[in-house]
Amino acid sequence: MMNVMLFGPELYYLGAALVFFFLSLKRQVQVKGDYQIALALAAGGLVVTGLCLCQQGELFFKAYRVDLFSQIFKFALALGFFLVITISHNLAHIEERYHAEFYLFLTTTTIGMMMLVSSVELLTIYVSLELSSYSLYILVPMRRGDGIDVEAGIKYLLIGAVSSGVMLFGLSYIFGATHSTYLSDIMVQLPKLAASPIGLLGLLLTLAGFFFKLSVFPFHFWAPDVYQGAANQVTTFIATASKAAAVALLLRLAVLGTSYGYSFAQALVFLSIISMTLGNLVAIIQKDFKRLLAYSSIAHAGYFLMGILTMKEAGYIAAVYYALAYLVMNFTVFMVISEVAKDGRDLKIQELAGLWRRSPLLSLSLIVGLFALAGVPPSIGFTGKLLLFTSAMSQGYFWLVLIGAVNGTISLYYYLRVIYASYFTDDPSLGPITVSTPTRILNYALIAIVLGFGLFPDRIVELAKAAVKTVL
Amino acid sequence: MLLAPPVGLVILLLLQEHQKFLIRAVSLVSAGITLGLAIYTFVAYDKGLGGLQFVEKHEMVKTFGISYFVGVEGMNAPLLLLTGIVIFTGVLTMWELETRTKEYFIWMLALVTGVFGVFMSYDMFMFFLFYEIAVVPMYILILVWGSTRKEYAAMKLTLYLMAGSGLIIPGILLLYSASGLGTFNMVALHGVHFSPWVQKVVFILLFFGFGVLAAVWPFHTWSPVGHVAAPTAVSMLHAGVLMKLGSFAILRVAMYLCPEGFQYWAQLMALLATVGIVYGVFVGLAQTDLKYVIGYSSVSHMGIVCLGLATGTVDGVNGAVFQMFAHGVMTALFFSSVGYIYDRTHTRDIHELGGFSKIMPVASAFFITAALCGAGVPGMASFWAELLVFIAAVKVFPVQGLLAIAALVVGALFALRVVQNSFFNAPNPKFVHFEDVSPFLALPRMILIATLIFFGFFPQTMVGMIKTAVVPFLQGM
Repeated sequence: MMNVMLFGPELYYLGAALVFFFLSLKRQVQVKGDYQIALALAAGGLVVTGLCLCQQGELFFKAYRVDLFSQIFKFALALGFFLVITISHNLAHIEERYHAEFYLFLTTTTIGMMMLVSSVELLTIYVSLELSSYSLYILVPMRRGDGIDVEAGIKYLLIGAVSSGVMLFGLSYIFGATHSTYLSDIMVQLPKLAASPIGLLGLLLTLAGFFFKLSVFPFHFWAPDVYQGAANQVTTFIATASKAAAVALLLRLAVLGTSYGYSFAQALVFLSIISMTLGNLVAIIQKDFKRLLAYSSIAHAGYFLMGILTMKEAGYIAAVYYALAYLVMNFTVFMVISEVAKDGRDLKIQELAGLWRRSPLLSLSLIVGLFALAGVPPSIGFTGKLLLFTSAMSQGYFWLVLIGAVNGTISLYYYLRVIYASYFTDDPSLGPITVSTPTRILNYALIAIVLGFGLFPDRIVELAKAAVKTVL
Repeated sequence: MLLAPPVGLVILLLLQEHQKFLIRAVSLVSAGITLGLAIYTFVAYDKGLGGLQFVEKHEMVKTFGISYFVGVEGMNAPLLLLTGIVIFTGVLTMWELETRTKEYFIWMLALVTGVFGVFMSYDMFMFFLFYEIAVVPMYILILVWGSTRKEYAAMKLTLYLMAGSGLIIPGILLLYSASGLGTFNMVALHGVHFSPWVQKVVFILLFFGFGVLAAVWPFHTWSPVGHVAAPTAVSMLHAGVLMKLGSFAILRVAMYLCPEGFQYWAQLMALLATVGIVYGVFVGLAQTDLKYVIGYSSVSHMGIVCLGLATGTVDGVNGAVFQMFAHGVMTALFFSSVGYIYDRTHTRDIHELGGFSKIMPVASAFFITAALCGAGVPGMASFWAELLVFIAAVKVFPVQGLLAIAALVVGALFALRVVQNSFFNAPNPKFVHFEDVSPFLALPRMILIATLIFFGFFPQTMVGMIKTAVVPFLQGM
């Protein structure tokens, strides 16, 4: 019984995947019915993951560790899954007979990520990563479209495959150098190799697989096209839950680099600075809202690295906090996109015109979400960013923080452009947007979370503190 | 005091747009409560005891040493009073607003919450958090309700201020990490002796960062443009209160925590302040738009504040804080009267207004009073403030001090020119049919004038108050 609880969330989602599998076999398509089942299962998943939050133990010959760290991220993934399902009541751009498949693959990718955050053995990590990636490779081109979906799908697949290859190459180095695939053994072995660069090289190459997920430079090329090309709901999942999983694994793996201290950290500093600067600068000229958010996610990857590269408790807490915050605030923005673009089209920034009149609530959510992404108080994004900066500064990365802070200003410019479009311009031809009651409640809840945990972050910080203890 | 605006804000969120009277009433009540509490703290503050009073302290984030730590002392009490007055009169001034009323008051109250938070916080994290809360609503306020090139102005203002924040964050965090205490509590950090290098770097970062908001030359260019574009009450709040956040922050964070850094950079501060004073006066001379005139005069008056701070003497800092208060009330009066005139005539051009005092004697009188105050006429609050600053400045920086005084004489001249051209020439026939200010709308302006004159005749109430904080403050340095 104990073991069932340990593996509870994964088993639950496996069952859910089976349900969706059988649903997809039906000849008659019942869009409404399928959606309600999906919603119920997602809500149930949230409950199950919540119940398993305090489990601790090891499974599968110690290749799989269940601790607070992994459970928090599993909860975040379950939350992301649930939130994406809530905005999937209107999958306009996916053919109706594929809806069940959409839920199926969304579930399998969630399972993959859940296994990922618990894996403490290199091969398990790799297999889980591929499980989650392959599902996404199918989800991205699922959109009924004009070729842009195929382009996005192929780009995602190719860059994903390349980064997997790079990662495997890195894994082989690490295995060759340490004769073990268990992180705990490698942790002991690697410092002995501090004199030779093989461990450092292997480690950086290994991280590549997750840099890809997090869209860190130089593995960011897929982001704009995939964000734009995939259906809005799929993009939402990639932009929220998948990022959280990537951060979790980066945190687990970066600890290995402690023995390389300076050179390892410098490599990450370099990537961090380029990612945020590049992302923010290119975002300025974007016209498509989702493309803009793609570049903003590249910039945010840079911020995440800032916390990771400290390799200290404070930085890890900040990174965990920011990962959870990013999930919520990015989702808030994407929810507005999928509500405004009810027919599933790509949303140009101009098409937000007059949002304050068409739906005051959505425009408020948009402002809150964007200000949070830009790091404006009293939002969760501001607190998270400041915690990240604080931890980086404590480790003496003065220039990194200065560049990060300047980047914050740049990013505000393009977020303000979106707010300008939605709050100030108007287009009489666009009619009001009706927002259903559940969506209304969702809006209020998101706004409350973004502002509430921004002002009173203590609970989350304490939770993150307890969680990172098991990683460090 | 900190709670009244957010509570009002939440109530406003629940109201409907068409219940305009209720919206205004709620805003006014929450502003009124704030003002009442501000007056109460000002009066009830025990000057004999000095130090921090009305302290509230709660742990926020233990791991990072962040706490909610607010209090009142001699230096921020006048500024709290100022904010209370300006927000109260600001709400009254905008009573006639018809477009998107609800959103307007929501953002305005958000802004005020931030301002109060900054003045009262003794925790660097919360200080910065409130600072940002005060800055950001400006963008939307100017964008939606502004005039004259508002898009440009709003974006310029926001980017300038955010760039300033980009300097402030590293500065604050460097102090945090250099102290090794793991706390953002300013009183605790004050006890740490930072290495000279850290102090120099942090001071200059914070000085430039906060200096952007205080319109220190050469970072002032957003300010006249922003003032011109903003709606009346926002100009009032902005020039009256928000710019003071910058100078107050220089005093409270930069000088308080980095005394050696301050001594190292004081010369530069005084130089920039003097350039600001002279520059503001001369550029103001060339303007024909009343709001630009006020905008540039703000630059020069804020220069006086900065000069006072740069002296680092009791008189200088006293005068600087007093000047923050006096200039705040005065500029609020300026913008309030110009806003009224503009709402009626849709022009702010000096020559077009012509002999406006023959058409609207009362409205014009408000402006003229403000102009006299700006020129430093005795009997007005700013006279004493400027006097204190200049006495200190001439002692410490003779050249800069004398230059500033000379510029101010010219400034008086230009104030008179403006007054003459816009109010005492031949009246413009276009505007003859306008009626004068109604007693209700005159009320906010009367409050402002009364404040100016009260502290003009009884400066000791204010100076005595400020002194209780400044003397120990400078001894601590």
